[in-house]
Amino acid sequence: MKEIVSDGTQLCEYLKGMVIDTLKLEDITKKEIENDAPLFGDGLGLDSIDALELVVAIEKAFDVVIEDENVGKTAFASIETLATFIQEMYKDKS
Amino acid sequence: MRWIEREERVRFNEVDEWGMAWHGHYVAWFEAGRISLLERFDLLPRQMVELGYIAPVINLTCEYKHSAVCGDSIIIRTTAIKPDIAALICRFEIALRDNGLLLARGETKQVLLTKDRTMIYRLSGEVEKRIAAMVDYCAGE
Repeated sequence: MKEIVSDGTQLCEYLKGMVIDTLKLEDITKKEIENDAPLFGDGLGLDSIDALELVVAIEKAFDVVIEDENVGKTAFASIETLATFIQEMYKDKS
Repeated sequence: MRWIEREERVRFNEVDEWGMAWHGHYVAWFEAGRISLLERFDLLPRQMVELGYIAPVINLTCEYKHSAVCGDSIIIRTTAIKPDIAALICRFEIALRDNGLLLARGETKQVLLTKDRTMIYRLSGEVEKRIAAMVDYCAGE
């Protein structure tokens, strides 16, 4: 997992797959998700309940902690911000 | 798995034109069952508020198996299951008291919001303790 996290492009692709799988977005492909497009509201249209599901998947996969919606809102703004968030958390660990 | 039971009686105002318990009332019976469970673990809605949280329902399912009629005594059985996410998941079964015939089963999922309506992703402190005690009790034999 460490190699994936250190490579921003790879991490973004991984996260897109995770969003699609976790939320069962069957009619959306990785290609359709832009790195900087908003995940919530106007973008991919996710809501706060989706975020809760995603948090569990991300915490399990990356062994990081996302306390609540306030942290989540910033982290989940887009695939890019999510990748940065995870990379920052990893930095703190090492 | 342990279940908390409570008994209710199907009232005249709870049946439809065909004499069967109206489907929406099962939700009210689930609620009654949930309160019976929650009060054992000091997790009643007002107690949640004292701890700084509210717990709105975000999902509810109900499968109907047989219909109850006016005057039937029913048993509402409620249990809680360990959630993957910071949520409260209750399961319900409603059966006829006299012969145990299963009338309906269902599930509700609640998330936890703080006073300022921020959803929490991780249980902690007193609320975590009480929910864990309830879930452990329900998981027992």
